[in-house]
Amino acid sequence: MNSAELKQVADHLRMTAVDMVYKGKDGHPGPALSIADIMAVLFFDEMRIDPANPDWEDRDRFILSKGHACPIYYAALSERGYFGEKIEDFKLRALGSKFQGHPVMNKTKGVDMTSGSLGNGISIAGGMALAGKYRRKDYNVYVIAGDGELQEGVCWEGINSAAAHKLDNLIVFVDKNGWQSGASVQETIGSNNIKERFEAFQWDAQEIDGHDADAIKAAIAKAKETKGKPSVIVCDCVKGKGLSFMENDNAWHKGVPTEEQYQQAVKELGGAE
Amino acid sequence: MAEFKGTREAFAAALIDLAANDDKIMFVSPDSLKAMRATKFAELYPEQYVEVGISEQNAVDTAAGLAAAGLTPFVGTYAGFMTMRACEQMRTFVAYPNLNVKFVGINSGLLGGEREGVTHQFYEDLGILSNIPNYTILTPADGYQTYKAVQMAAKINGPVYVRAGSGREANVYEKDAPFSSDGITVLREYGNDTLLLSSGFVLDRVLAAADLLKEQGVNVTVGDINILYGKNPEKIIEAIRKAERIVTVEDHNINGGLGAYISRLSAENAPKFVKRIGLTTFGESGPAKELADAYGFSPENIAKTVKENL
Repeated sequence: MNSAELKQVADHLRMTAVDMVYKGKDGHPGPALSIADIMAVLFFDEMRIDPANPDWEDRDRFILSKGHACPIYYAALSERGYFGEKIEDFKLRALGSKFQGHPVMNKTKGVDMTSGSLGNGISIAGGMALAGKYRRKDYNVYVIAGDGELQEGVCWEGINSAAAHKLDNLIVFVDKNGWQSGASVQETIGSNNIKERFEAFQWDAQEIDGHDADAIKAAIAKAKETKGKPSVIVCDCVKGKGLSFMENDNAWHKGVPTEEQYQQAVKELGGAE
Repeated sequence: MAEFKGTREAFAAALIDLAANDDKIMFVSPDSLKAMRATKFAELYPEQYVEVGISEQNAVDTAAGLAAAGLTPFVGTYAGFMTMRACEQMRTFVAYPNLNVKFVGINSGLLGGEREGVTHQFYEDLGILSNIPNYTILTPADGYQTYKAVQMAAKINGPVYVRAGSGREANVYEKDAPFSSDGITVLREYGNDTLLLSSGFVLDRVLAAADLLKEQGVNVTVGDINILYGKNPEKIIEAIRKAERIVTVEDHNINGGLGAYISRLSAENAPKFVKRIGLTTFGESGPAKELADAYGFSPENIAKTVKENL
Protein backbone atom coordinates (compact mmCIF):
# COMPACT_ATOMS: atom_id res chain seq x y z
CA MET A 1 0.00 0.00 0.00
CA ASN A 2 1.19 3.55 -0.61
CA SER A 3 1.32 6.13 2.14
CA ALA A 4 -2.01 7.74 1.22
CA GLU A 5 -3.74 4.38 1.36
CA LEU A 6 -2.08 3.54 4.66
CA LYS A 7 -3.13 6.91 6.08
CA GLN A 8 -6.70 6.10 5.11
CA VAL A 9 -6.46 2.66 6.73
CA ALA A 10 -5.00 4.18 9.90
CA ASP A 11 -7.79 6.73 10.18
CA HIS A 12 -10.37 4.05 9.59
CA LEU A 13 -8.81 1.96 12.38
CA ARG A 14 -8.89 5.06 14.59
CA MET A 15 -12.58 5.55 13.93
CA THR A 16 -13.33 1.89 14.61
CA ALA A 17 -11.41 2.10 17.90
CA VAL A 18 -13.28 5.23 18.98
CA ASP A 19 -16.57 3.60 17.96
CA MET A 20 -15.66 0.54 20.04
CA VAL A 21 -14.91 2.60 23.15
CA TYR A 22 -17.99 4.76 22.60
CA LYS A 23 -20.33 1.79 22.30
CA GLY A 24 -18.57 -0.23 25.02
CA LYS A 25 -18.53 2.84 27.30
CA ASP A 26 -15.03 2.04 28.49
CA GLY A 27 -11.45 1.77 27.24
CA HIS A 28 -8.26 3.63 26.37
CA PRO A 29 -8.72 5.67 23.19
CA GLY A 30 -5.67 7.97 23.47
CA PRO A 31 -3.08 5.16 23.59
CA ALA A 32 -4.91 3.37 20.75
CA LEU A 33 -4.90 6.32 18.36
CA SER A 34 -1.24 6.94 19.06
CA ILE A 35 -0.19 3.68 17.35
CA ALA A 36 -2.72 3.59 14.49
CA ASP A 37 -0.16 4.34 11.79
CA ILE A 38 2.26 1.67 13.01
CA MET A 39 -0.61 -0.85 13.15
CA ALA A 40 -1.70 0.06 9.62
CA VAL A 41 1.79 -0.54 8.22
CA LEU A 42 2.25 -3.79 10.16
CA PHE A 43 -1.13 -5.39 9.47
CA PHE A 44 -1.80 -4.03 5.98
CA ASP A 45 1.62 -3.87 4.43
CA GLU A 46 4.36 -5.58 6.32
CA MET A 47 3.50 -8.67 8.29
CA ARG A 48 3.37 -12.13 6.76
CA ILE A 49 0.05 -13.28 8.17
CA ASP A 50 -2.95 -15.26 6.96
CA PRO A 51 -6.24 -14.32 8.65
CA ALA A 52 -7.75 -17.63 7.49
CA ASN A 53 -4.95 -19.51 9.22
CA PRO A 54 -4.16 -17.55 12.39
CA ASP A 55 -2.02 -20.34 13.89
CA TRP A 56 0.15 -20.71 10.80
CA GLU A 57 3.59 -21.78 12.06
CA ASP A 58 5.54 -19.55 9.71
CA ARG A 59 3.56 -16.36 10.35
CA ASP A 60 5.14 -13.22 11.68
CA ARG A 61 4.21 -12.72 15.33
CA PHE A 62 2.89 -9.57 16.95
CA ILE A 63 2.65 -8.62 20.60
CA LEU A 64 0.88 -5.48 21.76
CA SER A 65 2.90 -5.08 24.92
CA LYS A 66 0.97 -1.91 25.82
CA GLY A 67 -2.16 -4.07 25.81
CA HIS A 68 -4.50 -1.30 26.96
CA ALA A 69 -4.30 0.11 23.42
CA CYS A 70 -6.17 -3.00 22.20
CA PRO A 71 -9.15 -1.26 20.53
CA ILE A 72 -6.86 -0.44 17.61
CA TYR A 73 -5.59 -4.04 17.59
CA TYR A 74 -9.12 -5.45 17.49
CA ALA A 75 -9.97 -2.97 14.74
CA ALA A 76 -6.98 -4.10 12.66
CA LEU A 77 -7.79 -7.80 13.11
CA SER A 78 -11.41 -7.22 12.15
CA GLU A 79 -10.47 -5.17 9.13
CA ARG A 80 -8.03 -7.87 8.02
CA GLY A 81 -10.82 -10.46 8.18
CA TYR A 82 -9.82 -12.52 11.21
CA PHE A 83 -13.44 -12.71 12.35
CA GLY A 84 -15.10 -13.31 9.00
CA GLU A 85 -17.42 -10.37 8.45
CA LYS A 86 -16.30 -7.04 9.83
CA ILE A 87 -17.61 -6.51 13.32
CA GLU A 88 -20.20 -3.76 13.84
CA ASP A 89 -20.36 -3.84 17.61
CA PHE A 90 -17.32 -5.35 19.30
CA LYS A 91 -19.00 -5.36 22.71
CA LEU A 92 -15.64 -4.25 24.08
CA ARG A 93 -15.21 -5.27 27.74
CA ALA A 94 -18.74 -6.74 27.88
CA LEU A 95 -19.40 -9.98 29.76
CA GLY A 96 -18.79 -12.94 27.45
CA SER A 97 -17.16 -10.84 24.73
CA LYS A 98 -14.08 -12.13 22.97
CA PHE A 99 -12.85 -8.55 23.01
CA GLN A 100 -11.53 -8.38 26.55
CA GLY A 101 -10.31 -5.24 28.27
CA HIS A 102 -6.79 -6.35 27.40
CA PRO A 103 -5.79 -8.83 24.66
CA VAL A 104 -6.20 -12.55 25.43
CA MET A 105 -4.65 -15.08 23.06
CA ASN A 106 -7.12 -17.91 23.63
CA LYS A 107 -10.21 -15.74 23.24
CA THR A 108 -9.43 -13.64 20.20
CA LYS A 109 -8.29 -15.06 16.87
CA GLY A 110 -5.11 -13.45 15.64
CA VAL A 111 -3.87 -12.44 19.08
CA ASP A 112 -0.49 -14.15 19.41
CA MET A 113 0.02 -13.38 23.09
CA THR A 114 -1.97 -12.28 26.08
CA SER A 115 -0.84 -8.82 27.21
CA GLY A 116 -1.79 -5.86 29.30
CA SER A 117 0.31 -6.23 32.40
CA LEU A 118 2.98 -3.78 31.32
CA GLY A 119 6.59 -4.68 30.68
CA ASN A 120 6.38 -8.27 29.51
CA GLY A 121 5.98 -8.09 25.73
CA ILE A 122 9.65 -7.76 24.84
CA SER A 123 10.71 -10.72 27.01
CA ILE A 124 7.96 -12.92 25.61
CA ALA A 125 8.77 -11.85 22.06
CA GLY A 126 12.37 -12.84 22.82
CA GLY A 127 11.13 -16.37 23.48
CA MET A 128 9.18 -16.41 20.22
CA ALA A 129 12.18 -15.09 18.31
CA LEU A 130 14.46 -17.71 19.90
CA ALA A 131 12.00 -20.42 18.92
CA GLY A 132 12.11 -19.12 15.35
CA LYS A 133 15.90 -19.29 15.29
CA TYR A 134 15.97 -22.74 16.85
CA ARG A 135 13.39 -24.12 14.43
CA ARG A 136 15.04 -22.47 11.42
CA LYS A 137 11.95 -20.40 10.70
CA ASP A 138 12.29 -17.08 8.94
CA TYR A 139 9.46 -15.27 10.69
CA ASN A 140 9.87 -11.94 12.45
CA VAL A 141 8.45 -10.98 15.82
CA TYR A 142 7.07 -7.47 16.20
CA VAL A 143 6.27 -5.71 19.47
CA ILE A 144 4.70 -2.37 20.25
CA ALA A 145 5.68 -1.12 23.69
CA GLY A 146 4.91 2.20 25.32
CA ASP A 147 7.47 4.74 26.47
CA GLY A 148 5.98 4.80 29.97
CA GLU A 149 5.99 1.02 29.97
CA LEU A 150 9.77 0.99 29.69
CA GLN A 151 9.89 1.99 33.36
CA GLU A 152 9.15 -1.66 34.15
CA GLY A 153 12.37 -3.48 35.03
CA VAL A 154 11.44 -6.68 33.25
CA CYS A 155 11.58 -4.81 29.93
CA TRP A 156 15.29 -4.33 30.40
CA GLU A 157 15.79 -7.94 31.39
CA GLY A 158 14.32 -8.91 28.04
CA ILE A 159 16.19 -6.19 26.16
CA ASN A 160 19.42 -7.45 27.71
CA SER A 161 18.93 -11.12 26.82
CA ALA A 162 17.54 -10.39 23.33
CA ALA A 163 20.83 -8.67 22.50
CA ALA A 164 22.83 -11.50 24.06
CA HIS A 165 21.01 -13.96 21.81
CA LYS A 166 21.48 -11.72 18.75
CA LEU A 167 17.77 -11.83 17.95
CA ASP A 168 17.78 -10.00 14.64
CA ASN A 169 14.29 -11.40 13.98
CA LEU A 170 12.89 -9.20 16.77
CA ILE A 171 11.70 -5.69 15.97
CA VAL A 172 10.33 -3.50 18.77
CA PHE A 173 8.41 -0.29 18.20
CA VAL A 174 8.28 2.13 21.09
CA ASP A 175 5.29 4.43 21.01
CA LYS A 176 7.06 7.51 22.32
CA ASN A 177 4.08 9.74 22.90
CA GLY A 178 5.52 11.18 26.08
CA TRP A 179 2.58 10.33 28.30
CA GLN A 180 1.66 7.65 30.76
CA SER A 181 -1.38 7.05 32.93
CA GLY A 182 -0.79 9.74 35.53
CA ALA A 183 1.40 12.39 33.92
CA SER A 184 4.05 12.97 31.27
CA VAL A 185 6.98 10.56 31.12
CA GLN A 186 9.31 13.51 31.71
CA GLU A 187 7.51 14.56 34.88
CA THR A 188 7.33 10.99 36.10
CA ILE A 189 10.83 9.72 35.55
CA GLY A 190 12.87 12.70 34.40
CA SER A 191 14.05 11.49 31.04
CA ASN A 192 12.81 9.75 27.93
CA ASN A 193 16.05 9.06 26.04
CA ILE A 194 14.90 5.71 24.75
CA LYS A 195 17.06 5.37 21.65
CA GLU A 196 20.27 5.93 23.62
CA ARG A 197 19.28 3.39 26.23
CA PHE A 198 18.61 0.71 23.65
CA GLU A 199 21.90 1.51 21.94
CA ALA A 200 23.67 1.05 25.26
CA PHE A 201 22.08 -2.40 25.40
CA GLN A 202 23.60 -3.20 22.00
CA TRP A 203 20.42 -2.88 19.95
CA ASP A 204 20.12 -1.39 16.50
CA ALA A 205 18.11 1.78 17.12
CA GLN A 206 16.30 4.28 14.92
CA GLU A 207 14.03 7.18 15.77
CA ILE A 208 11.32 8.24 13.33
CA ASP A 209 8.00 10.07 13.02
CA GLY A 210 5.55 7.40 14.16
CA HIS A 211 2.75 8.85 12.04
CA ASP A 212 4.64 8.76 8.72
CA ALA A 213 3.89 5.47 6.95
CA ASP A 214 6.82 5.79 4.56
CA ALA A 215 9.20 6.39 7.45
CA ILE A 216 7.78 3.38 9.30
CA LYS A 217 8.18 1.18 6.23
CA ALA A 218 11.73 2.35 5.63
CA ALA A 219 12.65 1.78 9.28
CA ILE A 220 11.29 -1.77 9.16
CA ALA A 221 13.26 -2.45 5.98
CA LYS A 222 16.44 -1.22 7.64
CA ALA A 223 15.72 -3.24 10.79
CA LYS A 224 15.26 -6.38 8.72
CA GLU A 225 18.61 -5.81 7.02
CA THR A 226 20.37 -5.51 10.37
CA LYS A 227 22.03 -8.80 11.27
CA GLY A 228 23.25 -10.01 14.65
CA LYS A 229 21.21 -7.69 16.85
CA PRO A 230 17.60 -6.89 17.61
CA SER A 231 16.12 -3.62 16.41
CA VAL A 232 14.14 -0.89 18.07
CA ILE A 233 12.20 1.74 16.16
CA VAL A 234 11.47 4.61 18.50
CA CYS A 235 8.36 6.30 17.13
CA ASP A 236 7.68 9.91 17.98
CA CYS A 237 3.93 9.83 18.34
CA VAL A 238 1.10 12.03 19.52
CA LYS A 239 -1.20 10.48 22.07
CA GLY A 240 -4.75 10.63 20.71
CA LYS A 241 -3.42 11.36 17.20
CA GLY A 242 -6.06 12.17 14.62
CA LEU A 243 -8.73 13.68 16.83
CA SER A 244 -8.35 17.38 17.58
CA PHE A 245 -9.94 17.17 21.00
CA MET A 246 -7.90 14.14 22.01
CA GLU A 247 -4.41 14.95 20.79
CA ASN A 248 -1.90 15.40 23.62
CA ASP A 249 -4.68 15.58 26.21
CA ASN A 250 -3.81 12.90 28.72
CA ALA A 251 -7.35 12.91 30.07
CA TRP A 252 -7.96 10.59 27.11
CA HIS A 253 -5.57 7.96 28.43
CA LYS A 254 -8.80 6.34 29.46
CA GLY A 255 -12.17 7.86 28.67
CA VAL A 256 -15.39 7.64 26.74
CA PRO A 257 -16.41 10.22 24.13
CA THR A 258 -19.73 12.03 24.57
CA GLU A 259 -22.20 11.84 21.71
CA GLU A 260 -21.04 15.25 20.56
CA GLN A 261 -17.40 14.17 20.64
CA TYR A 262 -18.31 10.97 18.81
CA GLN A 263 -19.93 13.01 16.03
CA GLN A 264 -16.83 15.17 15.93
CA ALA A 265 -14.74 12.01 15.49
CA VAL A 266 -16.94 10.90 12.61
CA LYS A 267 -16.32 14.26 10.95
CA GLU A 268 -12.57 14.32 11.53
CA LEU A 269 -11.87 10.69 10.71
CA GLY A 270 -14.23 10.34 7.80
CA GLY A 271 -16.90 8.15 9.39
CA ALA A 272 -16.86 4.56 10.54
CA GLU A 273 -16.96 3.05 7.07
CA MET B 1 18.56 -43.53 32.71
CA ALA B 2 21.88 -42.24 34.01
CA GLU B 3 22.85 -42.52 37.67
CA PHE B 4 21.82 -39.58 39.82
CA LYS B 5 21.48 -38.64 43.45
CA GLY B 6 18.87 -36.31 44.91
CA THR B 7 16.23 -34.16 43.29
CA ARG B 8 18.45 -31.74 41.36
CA GLU B 9 20.48 -34.41 39.59
CA ALA B 10 17.22 -36.26 39.02
CA PHE B 11 15.82 -33.24 37.21
CA ALA B 12 18.87 -32.96 34.96
CA ALA B 13 18.90 -36.71 34.21
CA ALA B 14 15.22 -36.65 33.31
CA LEU B 15 15.64 -33.57 31.12
CA ILE B 16 18.51 -35.17 29.20
CA ASP B 17 16.49 -38.35 28.69
CA LEU B 18 13.47 -36.35 27.53
CA ALA B 19 15.53 -34.32 25.07
CA ALA B 20 16.98 -37.49 23.57
CA ASN B 21 13.54 -38.28 22.17
CA ASP B 22 11.96 -34.85 21.85
CA ASP B 23 13.67 -31.90 20.20
CA LYS B 24 10.97 -29.56 21.53
CA ILE B 25 12.36 -29.84 25.07
CA MET B 26 14.12 -26.61 26.09
CA PHE B 27 15.72 -25.46 29.32
CA VAL B 28 15.47 -21.77 30.19
CA SER B 29 18.02 -20.76 32.79
CA PRO B 30 18.12 -17.53 34.79
CA ASP B 31 21.75 -18.37 35.59
CA SER B 32 20.60 -21.58 37.23
CA LEU B 33 22.39 -24.12 35.05
CA LYS B 34 24.80 -25.16 37.80
CA ALA B 35 22.22 -25.00 40.57
CA MET B 36 19.96 -27.28 38.53
CA ARG B 37 22.93 -29.62 37.86
CA ALA B 38 22.12 -29.27 34.15
CA THR B 39 25.58 -28.48 32.74
CA LYS B 40 25.62 -31.76 30.85
CA PHE B 41 22.27 -30.96 29.25
CA ALA B 42 23.76 -27.71 27.93
CA GLU B 43 26.74 -29.60 26.52
CA LEU B 44 24.59 -32.22 24.84
CA TYR B 45 21.87 -29.86 23.60
CA PRO B 46 23.40 -26.38 23.32
CA GLU B 47 20.62 -25.06 21.11
CA GLN B 48 17.96 -26.21 23.59
CA TYR B 49 19.63 -24.42 26.49
CA VAL B 50 18.53 -20.78 26.75
CA GLU B 51 20.51 -18.66 29.18
CA VAL B 52 18.78 -15.36 30.00
CA GLY B 53 20.96 -14.24 32.91
CA ILE B 54 19.80 -13.47 36.43
CA SER B 55 16.28 -12.41 35.49
CA GLU B 56 13.51 -14.74 36.60
CA GLN B 57 10.60 -12.70 35.25
CA ASN B 58 12.35 -12.65 31.90
CA ALA B 59 12.99 -16.40 32.12
CA VAL B 60 9.29 -17.13 32.61
CA ASP B 61 8.29 -14.69 29.86
CA THR B 62 10.87 -16.18 27.51
CA ALA B 63 9.50 -19.65 28.25
CA ALA B 64 5.98 -18.39 27.54
CA GLY B 65 7.18 -17.15 24.15
CA LEU B 66 8.91 -20.45 23.39
CA ALA B 67 5.77 -22.38 24.36
CA ALA B 68 3.55 -20.09 22.29
CA ALA B 69 5.74 -21.03 19.33
CA GLY B 70 5.18 -24.74 19.94
CA LEU B 71 8.14 -25.76 22.14
CA THR B 72 8.15 -27.37 25.61
CA PRO B 73 10.35 -25.25 27.84
CA PHE B 74 11.39 -26.11 31.38
CA VAL B 75 12.30 -23.25 33.70
CA GLY B 76 14.30 -24.36 36.69
CA THR B 77 15.65 -22.30 39.54
CA TYR B 78 15.08 -21.55 43.21
CA ALA B 79 11.42 -22.12 43.99
CA GLY B 80 10.72 -18.66 45.36
CA PHE B 81 12.57 -16.75 42.68
CA MET B 82 9.99 -18.21 40.29
CA THR B 83 6.84 -18.44 42.37
CA MET B 84 7.32 -15.12 44.12
CA ARG B 85 9.48 -12.87 41.99
CA ALA B 86 7.98 -14.15 38.74
CA CYS B 87 4.59 -15.03 40.19
CA GLU B 88 2.68 -12.71 37.89
CA GLN B 89 4.44 -14.04 34.81
CA MET B 90 3.65 -17.59 35.93
CA ARG B 91 0.01 -16.58 36.34
CA THR B 92 -0.77 -14.18 33.53
CA PHE B 93 1.51 -15.31 30.73
CA VAL B 94 1.68 -19.04 31.39
CA ALA B 95 -1.31 -20.25 33.40
CA TYR B 96 -3.95 -17.95 31.92
CA PRO B 97 -3.13 -18.85 28.30
CA ASN B 98 -2.53 -22.45 29.52
CA LEU B 99 0.87 -22.60 27.87
CA ASN B 100 3.03 -25.68 27.99
CA VAL B 101 5.70 -24.42 30.37
CA LYS B 102 7.18 -26.66 33.07
CA PHE B 103 8.69 -25.31 36.26
CA VAL B 104 11.07 -27.06 38.61
CA GLY B 105 11.56 -25.19 41.88
CA ILE B 106 14.58 -26.16 43.96
CA ASN B 107 15.37 -25.26 47.58
CA SER B 108 11.76 -25.73 48.51
CA GLY B 109 11.07 -26.00 52.22
CA LEU B 110 13.47 -25.79 55.13
CA LEU B 111 15.19 -28.95 53.97
CA GLY B 112 15.60 -27.56 50.48
CA GLY B 113 17.21 -24.33 51.63
CA GLU B 114 18.78 -25.53 54.88
CA ARG B 115 22.07 -23.68 55.44
CA GLU B 116 21.29 -20.85 53.03
CA GLY B 117 18.76 -19.25 55.34
CA VAL B 118 15.38 -17.66 54.74
CA THR B 119 16.29 -15.85 51.50
CA HIS B 120 16.87 -19.23 49.87
CA GLN B 121 14.26 -21.36 51.67
CA PHE B 122 10.81 -21.43 50.17
CA TYR B 123 7.81 -22.66 52.10
CA GLU B 124 5.17 -20.60 50.30
CA ASP B 125 5.42 -21.93 46.73
CA LEU B 126 2.53 -24.38 46.97
CA GLY B 127 0.22 -21.87 48.60
CA ILE B 128 0.90 -19.41 45.81
CA LEU B 129 0.41 -21.86 42.96
CA SER B 130 -2.63 -23.52 44.48
CA ASN B 131 -4.41 -20.20 43.95
CA ILE B 132 -3.65 -20.08 40.23
CA PRO B 133 -5.85 -22.13 37.88
CA ASN B 134 -4.34 -24.60 35.39
CA TYR B 135 -1.25 -25.61 37.37
CA THR B 136 -0.56 -29.28 37.99
CA ILE B 137 1.50 -29.39 41.20
CA LEU B 138 3.80 -32.38 41.68
CA THR B 139 5.58 -32.96 45.00
CA PRO B 140 7.94 -35.91 44.59
CA ALA B 141 9.35 -37.37 47.82
CA ASP B 142 12.88 -38.20 46.66
CA GLY B 143 15.27 -38.19 43.72
CA TYR B 144 13.80 -41.25 42.02
CA GLN B 145 10.32 -39.81 42.24
CA THR B 146 11.57 -36.45 40.96
CA TYR B 147 12.94 -38.15 37.85
CA LYS B 148 9.50 -39.64 37.23
CA ALA B 149 7.73 -36.39 38.05
CA VAL B 150 9.79 -34.47 35.49
CA GLN B 151 8.97 -37.13 32.91
CA MET B 152 5.28 -36.84 33.81
CA ALA B 153 5.45 -33.05 33.59
CA ALA B 154 6.55 -33.26 29.97
CA LYS B 155 3.56 -35.44 29.10
CA ILE B 156 0.96 -33.17 30.68
CA ASN B 157 -0.52 -30.56 28.38
CA GLY B 158 -0.28 -27.24 30.22
CA PRO B 159 1.71 -25.70 33.05
CA VAL B 160 3.27 -27.98 35.65
CA TYR B 161 5.24 -27.23 38.80
CA VAL B 162 7.61 -29.83 40.21
CA ARG B 163 8.76 -29.16 43.77
CA ALA B 164 12.42 -30.07 44.28
CA GLY B 165 14.96 -29.65 47.04
CA SER B 166 18.65 -29.30 47.82
CA GLY B 167 19.82 -32.56 46.28
CA ARG B 168 20.55 -34.25 49.58
CA GLU B 169 17.19 -35.99 49.95
CA ALA B 170 17.05 -39.54 51.29
CA ASN B 171 15.78 -42.11 48.82
CA VAL B 172 12.57 -43.72 50.00
CA TYR B 173 11.16 -45.24 46.84
CA GLU B 174 12.62 -47.97 44.67
CA LYS B 175 14.26 -46.58 41.57
CA ASP B 176 11.63 -48.00 39.25
CA ALA B 177 8.58 -47.24 41.40
CA PRO B 178 5.98 -45.29 39.41
CA PHE B 179 5.03 -41.71 40.22
CA SER B 180 1.39 -42.23 41.15
CA SER B 181 -1.08 -40.55 38.83
CA ASP B 182 -3.70 -40.96 41.56
CA GLY B 183 -1.84 -38.54 43.82
CA ILE B 184 -1.38 -41.01 46.67
CA THR B 185 0.86 -43.98 47.39
CA VAL B 186 0.24 -45.93 50.58
CA LEU B 187 3.62 -47.01 51.93
CA ARG B 188 2.75 -48.49 55.34
CA GLU B 189 -0.46 -50.07 56.57
CA TYR B 190 0.26 -50.86 60.21
CA GLY B 191 -3.28 -50.03 61.27
CA ASN B 192 -6.04 -47.49 61.30
CA ASP B 193 -5.26 -45.49 64.44
CA THR B 194 -4.29 -42.48 62.32
CA LEU B 195 -3.84 -41.78 58.63
CA LEU B 196 -0.46 -40.08 58.47
CA LEU B 197 -0.05 -38.16 55.22
CA SER B 198 3.21 -36.76 53.96
CA SER B 199 4.18 -34.67 50.98
CA GLY B 200 7.68 -34.13 49.64
CA PHE B 201 11.05 -34.77 51.24
CA VAL B 202 9.86 -35.30 54.80
CA LEU B 203 8.62 -38.74 53.83
CA ASP B 204 11.61 -40.58 55.35
CA ARG B 205 10.91 -38.81 58.65
CA VAL B 206 7.22 -39.66 58.51
CA LEU B 207 8.02 -43.33 57.86
CA ALA B 208 10.45 -43.32 60.82
CA ALA B 209 7.67 -41.82 62.95
CA ALA B 210 5.31 -44.61 61.87
CA ASP B 211 7.86 -47.19 62.98
CA LEU B 212 8.36 -45.43 66.32
CA LEU B 213 4.60 -45.38 66.85
CA LYS B 214 4.32 -49.06 66.02
CA GLU B 215 6.87 -49.84 68.72
CA GLN B 216 4.68 -47.85 71.10
CA GLY B 217 1.54 -49.74 70.12
CA VAL B 218 0.04 -47.09 67.83
CA ASN B 219 -0.57 -48.44 64.35
CA VAL B 220 -0.87 -45.92 61.55
CA THR B 221 -1.26 -45.93 57.79
CA VAL B 222 1.22 -43.75 55.88
CA GLY B 223 0.37 -42.20 52.55
CA ASP B 224 2.59 -40.07 50.33
CA ILE B 225 0.62 -37.37 48.54
CA ASN B 226 2.55 -36.56 45.36
CA ILE B 227 0.01 -34.41 43.46
CA LEU B 228 -1.59 -31.45 45.24
CA TYR B 229 -4.90 -29.93 44.19
CA GLY B 230 -5.03 -32.39 41.29
CA LYS B 231 -7.92 -33.11 38.97
CA ASN B 232 -8.58 -36.67 40.17
CA PRO B 233 -8.39 -36.84 43.98
CA GLU B 234 -10.69 -39.88 44.23
CA LYS B 235 -8.05 -42.23 45.67
CA ILE B 236 -7.07 -39.63 48.27
CA ILE B 237 -10.72 -39.18 49.24
CA GLU B 238 -11.04 -42.96 49.49
CA ALA B 239 -8.14 -43.04 51.96
CA ILE B 240 -9.69 -40.17 53.94
CA ARG B 241 -13.02 -42.04 54.13
CA LYS B 242 -11.31 -45.08 55.64
CA ALA B 243 -9.38 -43.02 58.20
CA GLU B 244 -10.26 -42.53 61.86
CA ARG B 245 -8.31 -39.29 62.01
CA ILE B 246 -5.59 -37.61 59.96
CA VAL B 247 -2.21 -35.98 60.60
CA THR B 248 -0.48 -34.21 57.73
CA VAL B 249 3.24 -33.43 57.56
CA GLU B 250 4.74 -30.97 55.10
CA ASP B 251 7.88 -28.88 54.80
CA HIS B 252 5.82 -25.80 53.86
CA ASN B 253 3.73 -23.23 55.65
CA ILE B 254 0.69 -24.93 57.12
CA ASN B 255 -1.50 -22.74 54.92
CA GLY B 256 -1.87 -23.47 51.23
CA GLY B 257 -0.10 -26.81 50.96
CA LEU B 258 -0.80 -30.43 51.89
CA GLY B 259 -2.63 -29.76 55.17
CA ALA B 260 -4.93 -27.22 53.60
CA TYR B 261 -5.60 -29.53 50.66
CA ILE B 262 -6.39 -32.55 52.82
CA SER B 263 -8.54 -30.44 55.16
CA ARG B 264 -10.57 -29.30 52.18
CA LEU B 265 -10.98 -32.76 50.71
CA SER B 266 -11.99 -34.06 54.12
CA ALA B 267 -14.40 -31.23 54.91
CA GLU B 268 -16.12 -31.53 51.55
CA ASN B 269 -16.22 -35.32 51.25
CA ALA B 270 -15.72 -37.13 54.54
CA PRO B 271 -15.27 -34.88 57.58
CA LYS B 272 -12.52 -36.19 59.86
CA PHE B 273 -10.29 -34.59 62.46
CA VAL B 274 -7.19 -33.19 60.71
CA LYS B 275 -4.04 -32.08 62.55
CA ARG B 276 -1.49 -30.29 60.42
CA ILE B 277 2.27 -30.35 61.03
CA GLY B 278 4.08 -27.68 59.03
CA LEU B 279 5.71 -24.31 59.36
CA THR B 280 4.10 -21.29 60.96
CA THR B 281 7.19 -19.05 61.06
CA PHE B 282 10.22 -18.27 58.91
CA GLY B 283 13.13 -20.68 59.24
CA GLU B 284 16.85 -19.99 59.63
CA SER B 285 20.21 -21.42 58.56
CA GLY B 286 21.34 -24.77 59.87
CA PRO B 287 22.38 -28.29 58.94
CA ALA B 288 19.42 -30.07 57.38
CA LYS B 289 18.80 -32.66 60.08
CA GLU B 290 19.16 -30.29 63.02
CA LEU B 291 17.07 -27.67 61.29
CA ALA B 292 14.24 -30.02 60.40
CA ASP B 293 14.27 -31.42 63.94
CA ALA B 294 14.20 -27.93 65.45
CA TYR B 295 11.16 -26.93 63.41
CA GLY B 296 9.05 -29.94 64.33
CA PHE B 297 9.89 -32.49 61.67
CA SER B 298 11.75 -35.00 63.88
CA PRO B 299 10.25 -38.50 63.81
CA GLU B 300 9.85 -38.15 67.58
CA ASN B 301 7.82 -34.96 67.31
CA ILE B 302 5.67 -36.34 64.50
CA ALA B 303 5.01 -39.47 66.60
CA LYS B 304 4.23 -37.35 69.66
CA THR B 305 1.78 -35.23 67.70
CA VAL B 306 0.01 -38.33 66.43
CA LYS B 307 -0.31 -39.68 69.96
CA GLU B 308 -1.55 -36.37 71.37
CA ASN B 309 -4.35 -36.39 68.86
CA LEU B 310 -5.54 -39.97 69.21
